[in-house]
This record gives sequence, structure tokens and C-alpha cells, in this order.
Amino acid sequence: MSDLLERKVGIVSCSGEELAEGTVARLAALKVLNELRPRDTVTICLPLFLAGGAGDRAFAKLHPTITVDGCDLRCAAHGTEKYSSKPAASLVVNELVAECGLERPEGRRRLNAAGQKAVEVTAERLAALVDQALGKEAGTARGSEAAAHEPDGGQREATCSCGSGVPVTKVSIDGQTVELVALPLIFRQSREKGRGQDEGAARELFETVKIYNAVPAEAEGSYREAVLREYAAFCEKEKQA
Amino acid sequence: MSPSKETVVVVPCSGIGKSFGTVSREAAYDLCEELRPESTRLVALAKLVLGEPGARELVAKHPAVTIDGCKQMCAAKMVRESGGTVAREVAVLDVFRRHKDLKPEGIAELNEAGRKLARVLAEEVAASLDGSGQTVKGAGHV
Repeated sequence: MSDLLERKVGIVSCSGEELAEGTVARLAALKVLNELRPRDTVTICLPLFLAGGAGDRAFAKLHPTITVDGCDLRCAAHGTEKYSSKPAASLVVNELVAECGLERPEGRRRLNAAGQKAVEVTAERLAALVDQALGKEAGTARGSEAAAHEPDGGQREATCSCGSGVPVTKVSIDGQTVELVALPLIFRQSREKGRGQDEGAARELFETVKIYNAVPAEAEGSYREAVLREYAAFCEKEKQA
Repeated sequence: MSPSKETVVVVPCSGIGKSFGTVSREAAYDLCEELRPESTRLVALAKLVLGEPGARELVAKHPAVTIDGCKQMCAAKMVRESGGTVAREVAVLDVFRRHKDLKPEGIAELNEAGRKLARVLAEEVAASLDGSGQTVKGAGHV
């Protein structure tokens, strides 16, 4: 998994507007993002995997991602896996409700008491999965500690990653313009490790690029050449800076 | 008029990170639950992302009103990619520009101004569906 960015867990909710369980999924995700683990989590709107750009689609490659769905269709889990990358974990609200013996939530717009309880339970489970994904003991995540010391009790707005800040570089490969994500981050990481431009470093660099970008097998040589050309230009620019 | 022409599907953007996304969802609920419950049908955008056959059939069969909370216009794009026709494409930001006193705040729960903005948007869409009200600025017929 990436250490290119500050390590945070991505939470993707189905937000299903048609069902109360979709509202539970969305509100539980927001509770984790805003209150329980604000410093350890980021989110992105599910439709952006299709409607957004390459940077948005790279979201789950750059963050261990947990999906939370309202129903068995598992739109968030399947959509994330199909368009970004396989989630580290998945929750389904109606399964969790059954597992915990809760009443079925009602009120897709304004949840009833059972729905509010389901939000609490789902958020707690989600927070525990966040801790697991970050390799932390339950309840020791930065967000829960920080929240107690913040003047507003830790209430924050969810960190939205639309136009997620993942840089996208347009590169000319075999006469075609191709978008590659995260190149400057990968290049900077390589420089910071003190890696030069020898064959071993080049191989390692290109393998990292392939983690975040789909490289067609038949064009691998051309992609490698283009990436190394970009890296040389990056190093030159850094020297001059 | 055939039943398929009478029903309009309403697709809000499913935005989770911004107040404008919450406004889009609230406006869709206002429209589908209170203002035009008999002639509208809410469709969750997540289903279109998944390519769920029932949702795709609905948007293929009925004209859609899309309500988007940001410039990415996910709802409008997804309806078109799903083979649907966007009859009215509404951007919350366009409606807010005409009602700057109604600044939405809050995501899990909107403030009073945000709820009013959602209501204004929903009423404008409802009126335009009737063909008797003002056209929603930023909206168009395909």
C-alpha cells in the first residue's frame, strides 16, 4: 500500500437515497469522518470514480479503503473495486443490523430511533475497521484522541477528496497523450530515498508507477521510456530549484 | 399521455463531502415525497454506478431530472452514460447564486437556510415539470 501520501483510510459510502439503510450508511460514514476518526479518514463520492478524472479513480490505490453499503447490492464495494481498487474491508448495514439483532431502520430522509441506533453501531464498527487498516489498537486512533482536546469537541467537516489532489500528468507515449497519476509523488519519494537513475532505481521506479497506473503489457517498454524521461526532467528541475 | 411519459426519474448527486450535495438530496426528497410524489421516482445514483439493471431501465424509459451539488455533475453524467435522457439538469450552485441569502451549511444535517434552498430548488423543478413555472436556470431540455 502507498506511503506516498499521509496514511489515511478512505471511506466510500453508497449514500443510497432510496433506502433508510443507505441513509444509515452515509450518516455512519460522516460520523467516523467528522467525530470518531477525523484525522485518519478521507472520503470521496462514489460516482466520481466514473464521472471524475484519473486522480479520482486512483483514490483506492492511494488509500486503504473501507466501503459501507446499505443493502446487498453493495454498490459502493463493487463500484470501488471495479473502477478504483479492491477495498480493504466492506460493511453492509442490513447485514450488521441482522447480526446485532437491531430493529430494521426506517425513514430514508429522517431516520427513526432504530435507524439512529444503526448509525451508532455501524459507525463504531467502521471506526474499528479504520483502526485495523492502520494497524492501531481500537480507540487509539489520532482522531479519537484529538477530538477530546479540541475546543469544539472534535466536530469537523468531512474531508472530501473530489478532485482529490492526486496529481495527474499528461505524457506522450507512442504519439498518444496518456494520463498517469501520482508521478510527482513517486518521483519525490525516489529522490528522498536517495535513489539515482541507474538500472535498479529505474526498475523500482517503474514498478511503483505500475501500482497506480494501468500499463498495457504490449506497451510496457514505451511507458517505461516515457516515465524515465519524465523522471529525468523532474530531477533536472529539482537540481535547478 | 402514456404512463411512461408521466413519470420522471429524479437523480440527486449522492454527494457526501459538501453541503451542496446534501441540498441536492434534500431537494430530491422534497420533490419526490412532498411536491410531486405521484409523478416522480427517486433513483439512487450508486445503482447507476453499479450498472444495476432496474435502475438503468428506469432512466432509459423515463426522462430524468438530475440535481448536482458540484461542478463534476456526476448525476447528469451518469444518467447519460446509462443511456438515459436528462430532461432537466439542475446545479445547486446556480440556484444558490439566485438566492444568496440561503447559504447552506452542514452535511449530515443542513442548517435552516440550506433546507430552504432545497425547497426553493424543488419548487422550481416542480413548476417547470408542470410547464407553468419558470425554467430552472442552468437547466435545459435535451
